[in-house]
Amino acid sequence: MNAEVTAIDSLSRRPLLLLLASGLAWLLLGGLLALIAAAQLIQPAFLADCSFLTYGRTTALAETAFVYGWLANAGLALGLWILARLGGEALRAQNWIVVGTLFWNAGITIALIGLATGDVTGFSLLNLPGYVQPLLLVAYGAIAVSGILAWGGRRRSMMYASQWYAVAALILFPWFLSVAGVMLFWSPARGVVQAVVAGWYSQCVWTLWLAPAALAVAYYVVPKVTGRTLRSYSFAALGFWTLLFMGPWTGGRHLIGGPVPAWIPTIAVVTGALLFFHYIIVALNLRDTFAAPGVSLRFIAFGLAAYLLGGVTDALTSFHGLSMVTRFTYVENAEQQLALYGAISMIFFGGLYYAVPRITGRAWAFGGLITGHLGFSALGVVGLVLALAVAGLVQGGGLLSTEVSFAEIGELTQPWLVAVLFAQIILLFGNILLSVNFLATLALSQKAEVAQFRAPVAMEVSAS
Amino acid sequence: MKHGFYFLLGLVGALGLSWAGIVMGSNTQLASLPPYADDTDTSPPWFPGEAARGEYVYKDLGCSACHTQQVRRPDFGSDVARGWGDRQSVARDYIYQPFPQLGNNRVGPDLTNLAGRRPNPPDEEDLMKLLYEGHGGMPAYKFLFEQRKIIGQVSDHAIKPSGAAPIPAGYELVPSRRAQMLVAYLRNLNTTSDYPESRPIPAAGAESAGSATKAKPAPAKAASGAAPAPAKKATP
Repeated sequence: MNAEVTAIDSLSRRPLLLLLASGLAWLLLGGLLALIAAAQLIQPAFLADCSFLTYGRTTALAETAFVYGWLANAGLALGLWILARLGGEALRAQNWIVVGTLFWNAGITIALIGLATGDVTGFSLLNLPGYVQPLLLVAYGAIAVSGILAWGGRRRSMMYASQWYAVAALILFPWFLSVAGVMLFWSPARGVVQAVVAGWYSQCVWTLWLAPAALAVAYYVVPKVTGRTLRSYSFAALGFWTLLFMGPWTGGRHLIGGPVPAWIPTIAVVTGALLFFHYIIVALNLRDTFAAPGVSLRFIAFGLAAYLLGGVTDALTSFHGLSMVTRFTYVENAEQQLALYGAISMIFFGGLYYAVPRITGRAWAFGGLITGHLGFSALGVVGLVLALAVAGLVQGGGLLSTEVSFAEIGELTQPWLVAVLFAQIILLFGNILLSVNFLATLALSQKAEVAQFRAPVAMEVSAS
Repeated sequence: MKHGFYFLLGLVGALGLSWAGIVMGSNTQLASLPPYADDTDTSPPWFPGEAARGEYVYKDLGCSACHTQQVRRPDFGSDVARGWGDRQSVARDYIYQPFPQLGNNRVGPDLTNLAGRRPNPPDEEDLMKLLYEGHGGMPAYKFLFEQRKIIGQVSDHAIKPSGAAPIPAGYELVPSRRAQMLVAYLRNLNTTSDYPESRPIPAAGAESAGSATKAKPAPAKAASGAAPAPAKKATP
């Protein structure tokens, strides 16, 4: 890996850029929908006459556009790129990626239209109408073929940590989506078994798909930029298998106190605590990130910090006493945003800033926009998560007392929900900067000099 | 890690174990949970047709984004104290619901026992007005209603909103089919049945009063269901 840009990158350019561009389009749409949802929480009359955008539908739309639009497309692009680079060959079956991406995006479009016109599922992280899931599975499979070929045909038989994570993310998603599809949509399970399956699915999305995809990026980019091998690398495999074997069992933490057998939330609490091993190992392996320079690593460092913090808060809010307050409040939204935006999305941003110059052979068009995006994203995520968490604690405290009415809870949470709205505006603004920069880099930017690639840190911020 | 085969086997194992444990485990335990039968009746009751269709409206409007339908036990949160139910919800309450709408956030109140609110459960007119006018943090769902010219007789279903936007003379406000189904559903949300597993677990030594007030006997066959063990009569 001497040269910074090789034929592997340039020959794989088109499908990867298609994936990234579609991801960014969904990111902007998702941000806009999240903004509408935030406004509706403050002013319920906002767009209330539009039946396509009831609050329940807007939140479902925003979540699906963000997770299955942005995170899926970006994660696939970065995962495939990493597998190609570590495999030592340009991506094969590129037409499959292109066709798969087009159909995946068509599937997401159909899903959003379905949600807006009355097919909300009510399952967190699974707001995909049943009829669109087969299409998504096939499209995802078509894209993944290329990654599997890159992994199977790798030049060295040994595998790097980022390959484990990327392959796991690539392979496992279709399995648990099809299980959930059968048990929730095609032949729905009876009664609350649906809630158990939905909880298991949402935790699979998190621990078997999005988190591995993000860790693949981090485990690849961090040593590349710092120029040092990963610390305590021999533990990495333990961290990987802990996440995979323990993660899906934590699904029941969304059902604490709920109408399900007590063993389901109990197992979730125990496995949630065991996952600490995973978080500790990730922190050990990647601890150089926090001291290293460069914008890519600033994004990734932020994402890792959010990832670790998220692991701790997930475990803490599973405890009986705290769960009693935080369950059914905005605290759960705060945890979800910390995970999806703070951890996964920020690490993907870091990967994207590292990958795009290498894929295109061009330096980023505007270095200032990158710094701006970093600032707005960090500020937006911190603001969003804090505001939601405080709103949730206020709400939870109010709910615990029988004296406080819902109108009073609404008044008490109002200022914090206004802060949520501002945070969403900041995030959307930051993402517009990213999109402008991305398009400008494709259209305007000059071919980068070799020297710029040799000094990757300089390249990431250079406005050539 | 060199061996692709063992690696893949590990991935299969990770997903497969959790699937077998959580998904199939809970499915085995709960999928054949029978209704509870005593001398006179079986429960839970089915929703009447109109209300059963209303569950689809409730789901597709995304009501569960703000309303839960699960009551937690008395010592876990203030659900019972707020008058949302006399007991915690149990798995058996949901066996006839095609899409249990458990919900994740309580921006608004829990609706498990909306039709059993004390002292006065909301009647059809209250709910129609609530849907048309909204209330506090709840938006108005005006698109569920149609304002139309009165031709001949005034419709039986017409509602008279009390809010700031009165209906012009010669017009009437009629709830759509969907509004009627939704309200029928809301008016049937009530878990009155008492199951062995829904009785509070008595504290050690203080068993008497709590469980003695519950009327129904607890046949052994029904006790094999979910969650907490039924209260058993202590031998003196």
